[in-house]
Amino acid sequence: MSDRPDSGTTSWRTRLQESAVYRSVVRTPPFDSPRGRAQRAFGNVFLHVYPVRVPRALLRFRSTWRLGFISSVLFAILLITGVYLMFFYTPAVSMAYGDMQLLRSQVGFGQLIRNVHRWGAHLMVLAVVFHLVRVFVDGAYKAPRQFNWVIGVGLLVITLAYSFTGYLLPWDQLAYWAVTVGSDLVQYAPGVGGWLRNFLLGGSTIGQSALLRFYVIHVAVLTAAFFALMAVHLWRLRKDGLAVGDPDVAHDVTTRATEAVRTPVAADAHWLADGRRVLGVVETEDGPGHAREPEHEVFAWPHLLIRHQVVALAVIALVLALGIAFEAPLRELANPNVTPEPSKAPWYFVGLQELLAHFDPLVAGVLAPAVLVGALLLLPYVDRNPSRRPEDRRVALVLFWTIFLALVVLTVIGALFRGPGWGFVLPWEHLYFEP
Amino acid sequence: MSPTRRELLEAGWKVGGGLLVVAAGWTSFEALKPLADVSGGGLLPLLPADAYPEGSATFVREGRFFVTRAKDELFAVSQKCPHLGCAVPFCEASGHFECPCHGSVYNLGGEWMSGPAPRGMDKHPLQIVDGRVVVNTAVLEQGAPLGTREYDTPSRGGSCAPADEA
Repeated sequence: MSDRPDSGTTSWRTRLQESAVYRSVVRTPPFDSPRGRAQRAFGNVFLHVYPVRVPRALLRFRSTWRLGFISSVLFAILLITGVYLMFFYTPAVSMAYGDMQLLRSQVGFGQLIRNVHRWGAHLMVLAVVFHLVRVFVDGAYKAPRQFNWVIGVGLLVITLAYSFTGYLLPWDQLAYWAVTVGSDLVQYAPGVGGWLRNFLLGGSTIGQSALLRFYVIHVAVLTAAFFALMAVHLWRLRKDGLAVGDPDVAHDVTTRATEAVRTPVAADAHWLADGRRVLGVVETEDGPGHAREPEHEVFAWPHLLIRHQVVALAVIALVLALGIAFEAPLRELANPNVTPEPSKAPWYFVGLQELLAHFDPLVAGVLAPAVLVGALLLLPYVDRNPSRRPEDRRVALVLFWTIFLALVVLTVIGALFRGPGWGFVLPWEHLYFEP
Repeated sequence: MSPTRRELLEAGWKVGGGLLVVAAGWTSFEALKPLADVSGGGLLPLLPADAYPEGSATFVREGRFFVTRAKDELFAVSQKCPHLGCAVPFCEASGHFECPCHGSVYNLGGEWMSGPAPRGMDKHPLQIVDGRVVVNTAVLEQGAPLGTREYDTPSRGGSCAPADEA
């Protein structure tokens, strides 16, 4: 059974690991060898998220900047802190604001947890957006990964919906008016706008039904949707293989010349670097070898796992530090009669608000975001250029960076350069910024 | 031409499943549809008409509107900005309504003067009954289209927005 020398006094640990109960739970041999670890990673539902082996290129931090993983860590933090907050929060107009104050004064670590939840949410929006940017720039949305890009856009929309619904819950002036502005935007959608807005709010004004609806959507509906899409996202990532280390992005010529089949999906319609379309099967047979050679791959456990642990710890440390240093804002109790000066949307929507100051609400508030999301969804099917090398994608990259920079500029102006009445204010004279 | 049993059953499953989805969607939608607004409003009697002097805007908290008088005519102007629903305060310094959210400006008659709003401010019907102002809060009339400027009052200078270049 065990190949260890029997010293007569087998430790309790060894006895445990050899017990029938333990073996029914953990079927694989001890993982003190690469083979054992690989077997366990393969047979464990949680570790199975990782492939047994990953491209060596993935170990470089700058291959992905770990942005997808960082988003997942932030989501886990938000889930845990969110559940904690749920124990102390009542989604009722008469109680919500009081519960915010109780979190500060009565609940153990209540304010800290709320702060971490808030900063974690902001960081998650950032991380998800940068993840999208990274995937675009690397061309990782191209065949065979088009559909996973679409799933990713869905996850971005869910992340924003999380932020927007969560924004109302403290029921202070900041929450009330940001959501008033945000939900009134929907009114401008042609035809169904007014009806849709009332359906979302459960009435014509933001009141008890709106608060309850936003709460249920925030804690239950979006969470279910997020887990469903996340499962597909990770599953497709495993099935399609990583774009990093895939020969299409490898810049050195020799690797590209040995390009070959990666997955059966890509095999029947595959392009060589010189643009010839070949049958992947044929190429595999003729090719001098392909990138999946042993020296290009390492075991995910421990090499990737340890890196992910370091990143996860760094993310936790960061949100904790932010939570200790900066309080999540809480203004006065929501008052439908007084709009605070200025009234700004959360920063990730403030670019939209800035756009609203210049264009018709139908254009700025409905068409612009709809076109943006629609373009993102269709991108992998519209951009049929198979190459992932930047030199071959000048138009796509210039277009992307232009739109991205425009969004950044709008956001910066809206967040930092706008004051009461949406007038222009220099941030070093007076900063009107509410995170 | 006639379908095989397999095809018929397959079609039956699809139609049945489709109906189930429609039924589930419909009932969920019906259940979640907002209830009729209970705050339907009604006739709200206010002060005698001469309590509202020319050029003034008096906020009526119960109905969330202002009673204004411009060019000797009384208006009940809804506080809600027709742009994106912010509560618009009256700025005494300028004699205009100035929205704090996106800077729309309206005159005392609720007519649009500048800013991104799509129309003038909405109004409730206002009557004078036995010398008293009565406002019907159950009815909200859409504001005047852009360009209507019948009730401009002389400018008082000043503005409530601190930065004036906007």
